Amino acid sequence: MKKVRILSLLSVTALVTTFLVSVPVAANAAPACDGKSPIQSCVGATSDGAPYAMQVPANFNGTVALYSHGYRYNVDIPAAIPLIGGYKVTNTPEPVPGGNADVAKYLFSQGVAIVGSGFARQGWNPDSAIKTNVELIDTFKKQFPTTKKVIAWGSSLGGVITQGLAEKHPELVSAVAPMCMADNVNAELTMAGDFLWGLKVLFDPTIKAGNYSAGAAGVGESYVDLGKVFTVMGKLQAGISTGAWPDTSSATGKALEAAGIPVRSALLYLGLMAGLPTQSAHFDSVNGPEGALKLSFPLAVSPALAILENGTNAAALAILATQDVEMQTGGAIFDNTKTNYAARIETEAVIFNAALSGNTVIGALSAALSAANPGAPRAVGNPAAMAKMNALHANTGKINVPTILMTGLADPITPAGASQRVVNAYAEQFAAEKVAALKEYQKSKSYTAPTNKLLMLWNTTPANWTKFASTGAPITSTPAAQGTNHCNFTSAQLVLVAKSLVQASSTGKLPSGGAIATAARKAGNLSVDKNIVAPLLKFYSDN
Amino acid sequence: MKAMNRRKLITVSAVLAAVSLAVTAVPAQAAEVGVTSTGIKLGMTLPMTGTASLGYNKIPGAAKAYFDYLNANGGINGRKVTLVVKDDRYVPTEAVAKTNELILKDKVMALLAPLGTANVKAVAASVNPGRRGVPVLFVNTGFSGFADAKKYPTTYAVLPSYIMEAKIMGQYIKENFAGKKIGLLYQDDDFGSDALAGFKTAGVTFAVKVPYASGSQGAAAAAGWITKFKAAEADVVILFGVSSATSAMLGVAAQLKYAPQWMLGSVGGDATTIKLTGVPAGVLYNAIGFSPVPATTDMKDEYVKLFSDIYAKAVPGSTFDLNVLLGMNSAFMAAQALKAAGPNPTRKSLMAAIDSKGSTFANSALVPLGYSKTSHVGLTGYWVGKYSPTGDLSPVGGTYVTYTTDSGAGAVVKSTYVRPAMPAKGLPN
Repeated sequence: MKKVRILSLLSVTALVTTFLVSVPVAANAAPACDGKSPIQSCVGATSDGAPYAMQVPANFNGTVALYSHGYRYNVDIPAAIPLIGGYKVTNTPEPVPGGNADVAKYLFSQGVAIVGSGFARQGWNPDSAIKTNVELIDTFKKQFPTTKKVIAWGSSLGGVITQGLAEKHPELVSAVAPMCMADNVNAELTMAGDFLWGLKVLFDPTIKAGNYSAGAAGVGESYVDLGKVFTVMGKLQAGISTGAWPDTSSATGKALEAAGIPVRSALLYLGLMAGLPTQSAHFDSVNGPEGALKLSFPLAVSPALAILENGTNAAALAILATQDVEMQTGGAIFDNTKTNYAARIETEAVIFNAALSGNTVIGALSAALSAANPGAPRAVGNPAAMAKMNALHANTGKINVPTILMTGLADPITPAGASQRVVNAYAEQFAAEKVAALKEYQKSKSYTAPTNKLLMLWNTTPANWTKFASTGAPITSTPAAQGTNHCNFTSAQLVLVAKSLVQASSTGKLPSGGAIATAARKAGNLSVDKNIVAPLLKFYSDN
Repeated sequence: MKAMNRRKLITVSAVLAAVSLAVTAVPAQAAEVGVTSTGIKLGMTLPMTGTASLGYNKIPGAAKAYFDYLNANGGINGRKVTLVVKDDRYVPTEAVAKTNELILKDKVMALLAPLGTANVKAVAASVNPGRRGVPVLFVNTGFSGFADAKKYPTTYAVLPSYIMEAKIMGQYIKENFAGKKIGLLYQDDDFGSDALAGFKTAGVTFAVKVPYASGSQGAAAAAGWITKFKAAEADVVILFGVSSATSAMLGVAAQLKYAPQWMLGSVGGDATTIKLTGVPAGVLYNAIGFSPVPATTDMKDEYVKLFSDIYAKAVPGSTFDLNVLLGMNSAFMAAQALKAAGPNPTRKSLMAAIDSKGSTFANSALVPLGYSKTSHVGLTGYWVGKYSPTGDLSPVGGTYVTYTTDSGAGAVVKSTYVRPAMPAKGLPN
């Protein structure tokens, strides 16, 4: 099998676009504009030093689209580190998703301006980024006084920032679209931390997996961890075929190996307990190569390969985001002393029983990973640091303005459950609004039905997509399947969100019924099926 | 909390509906998904290809044969029943994808007889037929959990649970093999967990228990199993697995001339399927077997006679076996549910019909059905038989003695159930 490609969280480094002028001016100064037509470009920096870029079409209709970019690592990554090495911290503004020209073109055609900040700090930053956006909105309105409406959207962590802006300042935005939205910091880092902890206690106990030292020393430790984790993932990739456990495995891991437990089953268990999707960019857990493995590959092997592909991303996030949040909070923030991993995978243990090699193996893995096993010491968080983490900005899921969510059903970084949490919260909110409306009717005899303010666009996966070479080896060089990978949206899908935002901003109503169902279908692999229910992140089953 | 919100929603919806009635005309009721003036569309996923498909892939043909017969005799209130079949190869993720297709693209009214515990559970978790209100009729798995109407509100079991089967096996062991060393081969998942729970309730003590992971069964594995049973000097070996595990075990046992007293669970006990793998029929001779429906060779049974005649015309040359009988039986029960659902059946009325009348549905089984408004339990027992030199399963002593029990701590008792006469021509009343 070819090297499993990792989707870098740093793909934003490629997002510097032709729409941007990358020369920031002094903080809090008036924007520097080039006065060009048909698109006028302005740059500047907010009072926190965050550079921004504005682009305003000559036919500006008074609506501006504020885009918030996703997570960028907060430290440079040395080139020697595999897969993600060479990254440099950047705060380049990003006024449309990924610098997507089609999206910008569409918005300009509607007379909509675009604006985006690069934010003052990278890493986990919603607290500061929301403030930056508030200031940026004000700056834009002052620069372009004909501004009437602001629509906000963002991807990944930018989705958290966008939703947070709408929750805290609904008066500033007329419609929002958090896309491939991350969950709150504790839920996201629990998912990532669980997987990383599992890698440590089974496959390489020298992985530090959090509780990094302060300052530069901690950053260095995170670099070492990155190298070790990617090395382990490489060994696991080989082990899925050969059955061999990594030679760095812990005593617990070696005991499991000696008991005949397949390493693929152990890896799958870790992915399931963390809540990673069992379908990935190139592994659908459906297709098998022609021949003897036609059935056993999807049944027993493919789910583990999907976890390998998805888990590489989760592990990278675990290390770098954990290090970043620990730096912000002053101590270890991952704590699994009370986590019951066996209970977490109760349903998955049935569905993936064959891939997990049966109940006996599942029981052995559960015992090995239980709190009772001293050979798999649990991670103990720092209470003060955890309290600080929990005090970081967290979204409640309250919907104040017309909101469009779009996410991939097999997104490994920001699982679809993050959006499902908002969908669930809004179901309760809408029901309460109906009750309130009814009470009002009983008083006034005038009934005003509450308006739906949430549109959920699920980026669904195809029926199957794993392809095989004539040798029977799976092919991993093809583009990631729809619905998989992180924020893996097409231009057509992004334009649909932009169109829906513009419409909602203009009319106060989201597109609905057959119109949006048809538009979603035409955009490709999008569904508005209200009966799709994504599993919440595992954090919520613990708390 | 969710339930409370649902109640709130229902209450509010009902009141709002009343408000709107005052000012607007009642709209015409939309037709139910999968139901037209001329037809009713049902869907089925199960392994049609691959190693796990052996025997089970006859179920769709059997069900279609019955529906064709039904349609030729007027259908359901003039509507013809069609069945869309998708091959899931026994892979849970594929079952999810294929079930999604059935519901969203093919727009079936209900799912019929999907097969496999893991697959049905994967579909329940990912496709959410319960939330969608899509009936999942007569699942082809005896996992006891699917009878939980709260957890799986639209799913209806039909096979007796594996717990029931193990309890009845245990009773038979106590009465006939007291003091013997008992060995057990079981699938190491919920299928096997149910069996272990049933044997435990029955008080069976095993000299050796050999689990196998689903998908790992084959000749090489079987040789290892036999080594363990030999080492434990098992006198009686229970094969509580799928057909491919039973076949692998018996095939290798024949080669090694290993011949304990075999006892076969119903899931892997279809002789036709076993013999198709090359296992000599003689290996089965005197093995103990269990079935809720009559012996497939019992042409004195009115259901077996009718169903085998229908099947012979629909699928000439194909052997009428246990999978065929069970497939046709499920189709026949589905027809009765559709008929009982009223002149314009809906998903809700279909499930309401099973809840209120399902326990009285005519069917070939010799044990009662357990459906009620609070229970989705299907059949509730077995008769015990022995395999003949040609591999046919016939009741011990020549007459059917049926045993019934539950999936809990209830006793195993001889059933007094008398199966009602088959409706005229085997058509729903």
